[in-house]
Amino acid sequence: MPIWNTGEECLDREARAQQQIERLQSTLNRASKNVPFYRNRFGLQGMDSLEVENLSDLRRVPFTERQHMSDNYPYGLFAVPLRDVVRIHTAPGMTLKPTVSGYTKSDLLVWRELVGRALTAAGVTSSDILQIVLYPGLANWGRDYKDGAEAIEASVIPLTVLTPEKQLMIMRDYRTSVLITSPSAATQLMNLLFRANLNPNTLALKTLILVGQAPAASIHSQLEERLHVKTWVHYGLSEVPGPGVAFECEERQGLHVSEDHFLPEIVDPKTGEPVPEGEEGELVLTTLTTRAFPLIRFRTGDRVRFLGGACPCGRTLRRIAWLPDRTDETMVIRGVKVHHRQILLLLERAIGVMPKMYRISVKHEELRDYLEVWLLADESIFSDEIKEMEKVVQGIGSELTQELGVPVTIRLREKPSFHEN
Amino acid sequence: MLRIRNLKCYYGRIRAISGVSLSVRSGELIALIGANGAGKTTLLHTVCGLLSQWEGEINFDKKSLSGRKPQEIVRRGISLVPEGRLLFPPMSVLDNLKLGAYVRYRQRQHQDAAEDLETVLNLFPVLRERSKQAAGTLSGGEQQMLAIGRALMARPRLLLLDEPSMGLAPFLVRLIMDILVQLKGEGITILLVEQNARAALQVADRGYVLENGRVVLDGPAGDLLADQDVKRAYLGKDYREFYDGRD
Repeated sequence: MPIWNTGEECLDREARAQQQIERLQSTLNRASKNVPFYRNRFGLQGMDSLEVENLSDLRRVPFTERQHMSDNYPYGLFAVPLRDVVRIHTAPGMTLKPTVSGYTKSDLLVWRELVGRALTAAGVTSSDILQIVLYPGLANWGRDYKDGAEAIEASVIPLTVLTPEKQLMIMRDYRTSVLITSPSAATQLMNLLFRANLNPNTLALKTLILVGQAPAASIHSQLEERLHVKTWVHYGLSEVPGPGVAFECEERQGLHVSEDHFLPEIVDPKTGEPVPEGEEGELVLTTLTTRAFPLIRFRTGDRVRFLGGACPCGRTLRRIAWLPDRTDETMVIRGVKVHHRQILLLLERAIGVMPKMYRISVKHEELRDYLEVWLLADESIFSDEIKEMEKVVQGIGSELTQELGVPVTIRLREKPSFHEN
Repeated sequence: MLRIRNLKCYYGRIRAISGVSLSVRSGELIALIGANGAGKTTLLHTVCGLLSQWEGEINFDKKSLSGRKPQEIVRRGISLVPEGRLLFPPMSVLDNLKLGAYVRYRQRQHQDAAEDLETVLNLFPVLRERSKQAAGTLSGGEQQMLAIGRALMARPRLLLLDEPSMGLAPFLVRLIMDILVQLKGEGITILLVEQNARAALQVADRGYVLENGRVVLDGPAGDLLADQDVKRAYLGKDYREFYDGRD
């Protein structure tokens, strides 16, 4: 399988270490110069950005968490003036305020490169027809994948909001050879295909790229066997910059992290201390080249572990195993991250009071995954008329669906059989 | 080839460079840009061994340059074209060039040095024409060529240049930059310090932007050239671009 950027992806370890320390220092210098949030946090630790001389010094720098993005809404974490920003992304945040991230012209080029790399590693070429099927909550990734796929000159069918049936029709009629989607959406499309009595061989599909959530090994093999495709996993960040941070190569022994642009660390989610080499923990990322929206030690909430040894594919980028389950309360539905707190705040806004009792769960059905929210039918929702109540429930449901970018079903209960808030 | 980590340089108690990491790979042309007082010249002088008060690591070909004397560093293959050329004005062009091979004459490599003199004179035909003339009578551009030629006489593998475009007319700046590209083609690795960011980035592979003794930006030269921050800070004074395309 070809390598998109041999110079960068196969750089020897020693040169990589130098490149990372150079880029890390200039990133820290820029962040502390341009972003008051980071400057203050360095100050709180009694340190100056210049004191980071190696990776163990970096451990003294405080983490950045999703909460900080909400706190600094909208532009507080930008490291360049707005006139240099060419694209502003909105992603669901932890609170009612969304997460805002920006890209400069050069940032966009970096993302094209990252996605181009990841696609090339999956064998995607200019002769492929590439279809992107993602839920609205991951619309940002749709754009980045489109740009990256265009960079390697594949024919792109960009993200369009269509029913699964229509997506399937396009896949068959347009002769899609590469599909980028989340594992759950892929499973649904597969089920739909068999329900419609379509033979997978009528599709031109040969490559399935799974994004948004760590797929269980069983899903991998099921999709490969039943759809006659090869699956590849890409790892990305949904709130900020984008997809293709780490990707599988043809060896498919873990995901290569694009270390020339990101510095990965793995820490114990409880203590924040680095875990021993090879053990699992929470992935923490620091951007090395990002201009508009640098992240210093960002806690991703994703559970990973480093894989040792050199990869036979020739890339020297370190590999991680991406494990299902997260280290925080975030739920992942169809690749879209939804935060517990965000749902509560939305409910509070919709109902007028914070719900006293509730239960939130992710439901998997054959043709669709959705978020189910049980609420206590108390005086805040209750009405004499069934019609009124139905209207209220529907209103809350559609508001949440809109805000979260994933389908939400609201159910009411009279007698509480679930835990209290 | 050259690998600098966490370099801090001091003039007495004043810190001129605060933790710079920078690398030059074999065959690369690297531009180091920044405003006055950013620490560019200090960095070059430190690499050459002219400044001894520093901390951090400087490795050339994986060997530390710590505590090495300038002449030893020249022997290892690093030459400097200093800011303001620093020629010997009353001496002839030829003698100025020969002085560049000083350490090699000491090692009795007369034959090799004579060959290199031929190469340099072929590279700069104008210097051959004026070989008997006193260096002080040359024009600015010719003096700069002489300074580069003199540095080449030490047969460096890494050539350091400090503001070679200073005081030169635009067409001469281009000429000098073209010569650097030519030298790079001949296998010489180059670290170029410039205030003329545009000229330097146009020929460089990668660049570093130095500000108050720290690197605030680094990347492929093409990216830096297009970078808004760099444009504002270092390319801003060239108004030509504003008028380009208006007529």
